[in-house]
Amino acid sequence: MITIKQLYKTYDTGVVRVEALKNVDLEVPEGQFLAIMGPSGSGKSTLMNILGCLDKPSTGDYILDGVDVKSQDEKQLSKVRNQKIGFVFQTFNLLPRLDCVRNVALPMLYAGISSTYSKEHSLAALDKVGLLDHARHRPNELSGGQRQRVAIARALVNDPRIILADEPTGNLDTRSGIEVMALFEELHQQGRTIVLVTHEPEIANHAQKIIHFRDGRLVKSEQVANPVRAAQQLAELDEAGEVAE
Amino acid sequence: MNWGEMIKVALEGIWVNKLRSALTILGIIIGVMAVIIVITIGQGGRDEIMGELESMGSNLFAVYISQVEDGDYERYQMDEEDCRIIKESVEGVKAIVPVAYTSASAQTKRKKESCSLTATDGEYAQIRNVQIAQGRFFNTSDNASTRRVVVINQKLADDLFGVGSDVLDQKIMLAGNPVMVIGVCKSATGIFSGGDRPEAYIPISLYYTMYESNGAYELDGTAVSKDRVDEVAQQVMRIMQLRHGDKDKKVYQFFNMEQEMQSANKVTGILTLIIGAIAGISLLVGGIGVMNIMLVSVTERTREIGIRIAIGACRQDIMRQFLIESTVLSLLGGLIGIILGMISAALICAAIKIPFSISLPTVLIASLFSIAVGIFFGLYPANRAAKLDPIDALRYE
Repeated sequence: MITIKQLYKTYDTGVVRVEALKNVDLEVPEGQFLAIMGPSGSGKSTLMNILGCLDKPSTGDYILDGVDVKSQDEKQLSKVRNQKIGFVFQTFNLLPRLDCVRNVALPMLYAGISSTYSKEHSLAALDKVGLLDHARHRPNELSGGQRQRVAIARALVNDPRIILADEPTGNLDTRSGIEVMALFEELHQQGRTIVLVTHEPEIANHAQKIIHFRDGRLVKSEQVANPVRAAQQLAELDEAGEVAE
Repeated sequence: MNWGEMIKVALEGIWVNKLRSALTILGIIIGVMAVIIVITIGQGGRDEIMGELESMGSNLFAVYISQVEDGDYERYQMDEEDCRIIKESVEGVKAIVPVAYTSASAQTKRKKESCSLTATDGEYAQIRNVQIAQGRFFNTSDNASTRRVVVINQKLADDLFGVGSDVLDQKIMLAGNPVMVIGVCKSATGIFSGGDRPEAYIPISLYYTMYESNGAYELDGTAVSKDRVDEVAQQVMRIMQLRHGDKDKKVYQFFNMEQEMQSANKVTGILTLIIGAIAGISLLVGGIGVMNIMLVSVTERTREIGIRIAIGACRQDIMRQFLIESTVLSLLGGLIGIILGMISAALICAAIKIPFSISLPTVLIASLFSIAVGIFFGLYPANRAAKLDPIDALRYE
């Protein structure tokens, strides 16, 4: 699904040259759940931007679903972002003026789908993340966990094959974070490729594979023998709560 | 994204910042309003002037003494004999009379008024389209026999005898000479009459005796058709030059209504254009206001732009979104400006008594112009939005 070969990303501000990514090779097969870990400044966000076609590599190749991203123009790339990729951000990035349905429907509108159909479809997507009854609410009327679920519904609405999640639980409390992870697990089980950036090991442990970045280099790659299950974690959390009481 | 959705988004954006949007479009409203008022009133004024000139008769012409360098006025003065010869020799002349203007006192037993006095021949009434209210205008034979008669206008009749009095066959003293009122004509109205002033008309032969004169400074005439009036007026002038020995061709001038209408049309057109252009400057200022607020909007919504790009908007979509917003903003201002401009113009036209008409081309041009202003001044902000780097935009706080 994703093939990266000898990828470099250099930022040249004129004063300083920063090598954000150095000689990265990565292969993500279709349907894999991959976690990327590393301290801030290690290059993981840069990699996510490149994976999400928001940025281009300085040198090296990025083949996404058989297509060399380098050869694509701006318009084609916007189509890739729209159709093949679903973004989930740490800060949710919902449009504050729009209610949940319209936020979710946005990618469909940019895909040129009629607003009646996209509304129906968006309601269905909201139903999947359990927020159908909040469809007419604006993001600021929702909790962080709910907002992130709306954002996931938005990422899903065009049925992309890859979900890119950049610290999706970073702004959430433990329980909401696990609930969000439960959604990712479900998406993974449906056969989607998931790439998740995090610096929390317990979140990364939901994935099948974890890669570590340091100073722009991929330094370590490990398979997770027994990925953590969100359902199990939630049960433990409930138990702990009862004991505390 | 389809157009309907985009316009909806633009309207929502405008609606969310109600006050800001209102202040922004105020510039456009005032600009369009000013342009509409100027053009509508200019058009009304032009129609009024044209109507009035037309009512004076578009076949009208006059030949008059303009400057006499040798001081020998008597030599150049024109009379009925000149008119008779002109009628014989110039084929396109329908009627022509000598006209002398002066002012005189008019007196009855109870009152004394000063009035402007026009001395002429009988055909003057047709040539100048004098509207008779009572009695009659004097005729050629009245003039030929130097009858002591006068035609006065309603204003002078009211001033001398009181409103509603019977004035026909009454005697008045005109510049110390007794004359009999044989007709009352309607007072002139309109912008060229210089208001409702007392006026009196006497046969020119009577004027000669009263003022010890033997000719007039002006000949008024009509041509047989509008197309020939210029040519006829020139011929008449040439005959006068020959008959009165104006060798240098400096003494006589002529004027004809057709020419006058064209130049009046041109003058009002240029005036409207100049004032319209000045009003247009406020539209320009309004446009700059739109640009300013769109730049603010782009900065404010940097993050939104980043989000939209991340979920699949291409640069063209972003560009279009902001262009539509600025266009809708300025069109909205334009439409409000048109409505307010029309209302103001109608009120002003009613106040200064000129005809008011809504001209569809004006409305159309004003609408198109405000759309153009929106696009033109929205282009730079929209382009700036479209060129944002999505990664920076997403990080923007």
